[in-house]
Amino acid sequence: MKLVFLSLGNGSIIAIVVVALILIIVFWYIGVMNRLRQLEVKVEEAESGIDVALTKRFDALTKMLETTKGYAKHESETLEKVIKWRNGIPSDASLQDKQEFANSLAKVANGINVVVEQYPDLKANTMFNNLQNSIMDTEEHLQAARRLFNSNVRAINQIIVTFPQSIVANAIHMQKKNFFEAEEAKRQDVKMNF
Amino acid sequence: MNDFTSLNQERKKCANYVVIGGFLIFVGIILFMLGDVISIFGVIFFIAGGIVAGIGAGKFQQIKYRFKNEYLKKIIQDVYQNSTYDPKNGLPMARVYRSGLLKKADRFHSEDLIRGSFEDVKFETCDLKLEERHVRHTKNGTQVYYVTYFLGRFFEFEFPKSFKGKIVVTEGAILTWFTDLKKMEMESVEFNKKFKTYSNDEHNTFYVLTPHLMESLMDLERQNPGTIACSFDGNRLTIVINNNRDTFELKLFSEINEMSIISMKKELEVIQNIIEELRLNRNIFINKEENI
Repeated sequence: MKLVFLSLGNGSIIAIVVVALILIIVFWYIGVMNRLRQLEVKVEEAESGIDVALTKRFDALTKMLETTKGYAKHESETLEKVIKWRNGIPSDASLQDKQEFANSLAKVANGINVVVEQYPDLKANTMFNNLQNSIMDTEEHLQAARRLFNSNVRAINQIIVTFPQSIVANAIHMQKKNFFEAEEAKRQDVKMNF
Repeated sequence: MNDFTSLNQERKKCANYVVIGGFLIFVGIILFMLGDVISIFGVIFFIAGGIVAGIGAGKFQQIKYRFKNEYLKKIIQDVYQNSTYDPKNGLPMARVYRSGLLKKADRFHSEDLIRGSFEDVKFETCDLKLEERHVRHTKNGTQVYYVTYFLGRFFEFEFPKSFKGKIVVTEGAILTWFTDLKKMEMESVEFNKKFKTYSNDEHNTFYVLTPHLMESLMDLERQNPGTIACSFDGNRLTIVINNNRDTFELKLFSEINEMSIISMKKELEVIQNIIEELRLNRNIFINKEENI
């Protein structure tokens, strides 16, 4: 090995070093790019988890309102307004749309809670209690989906803003992702004591 | 108030046996070192000391079992109604290893098995001692010795709901290798510093490990010195605490009094604390609705 290097001229050594450096940079670039793409897929996966959780929550609330017909008219109307997504979240819906949807569902859930307080006979209804547990469970799942999404967003954003990885992110036009915020109404919903 | 007079009297007798035995062994060693004819007396003293100390230790073992059967059993049943306690036996090996938290031992010892339920959560707990066989080659031959790598408590809780996937949370180095689990980062920096989380289902990891549960696990770790690891699998939560302690054991040279009982009650409250702190009786553990 030593003999091979000795037999090479200075120009050749410099060329080898330059080629090696270029190769290192290329491999590093590909590595960072792949990592960013993988994380982007994970963010998309987590967003679809939010979609599933939102759909489940919507279905549970619809069932609940069918049970409480006559008691919760205002809540039924509120749910009617968001009924455009009755058959699932559309693929072109933005994160902002989903946040608003989640917010509307939280308002409906809170409204039902207020109604329940006014009609104690509802509290004694077994089917109603099962539905309430189901709504609470969908809320727990929505929180989990939101936290998983935000955790993945945090991971990708950290790479996007950190130098020198930010160079790769800029080159492939990858921008910082938005977090799925938990609004106050939803936090209160989780603390509901039925 | 419990009356421990007779137990303490017997314990003191055992302690005297052990002290006298130890003294005879010491004298035996001195005489043996002096050499010549006296060394024969040294051997005699050494053997006699060993026998006396052995009798003391054996009798103390009986006192320990008597205490466990007469007093500890009642204390346990006071704290956890309908519970059962077996001082001599623990959980079988297969049950201990199925969580995957502990690697298989060359020497396995388990005792002080408690079975019961608290707030509809069934639990089983026992003391565990796991040892690994080591071989040392010297010029005088081969020496086999055992090193304890786990001495502490094993807990298993069972709740009515079954989860998808498996979650393992461990403090420090993981003792076994999970090929099917991936390392996960939770949103709490403090939690990630303290524990390593492994799972094969990301969504359920966030579903089970709520911010409150993460906080509670950190509290549990603070309250119980030693290394903690836990696993959520199906409808089971397994917790192992490697604190280098043999729980519910009397000490030969310490008096048995109400303080001993209080400290044992504290050990028992750990079960209650885990159920309450980790809120194993809360909605996500008892709701029978299907997971998404």
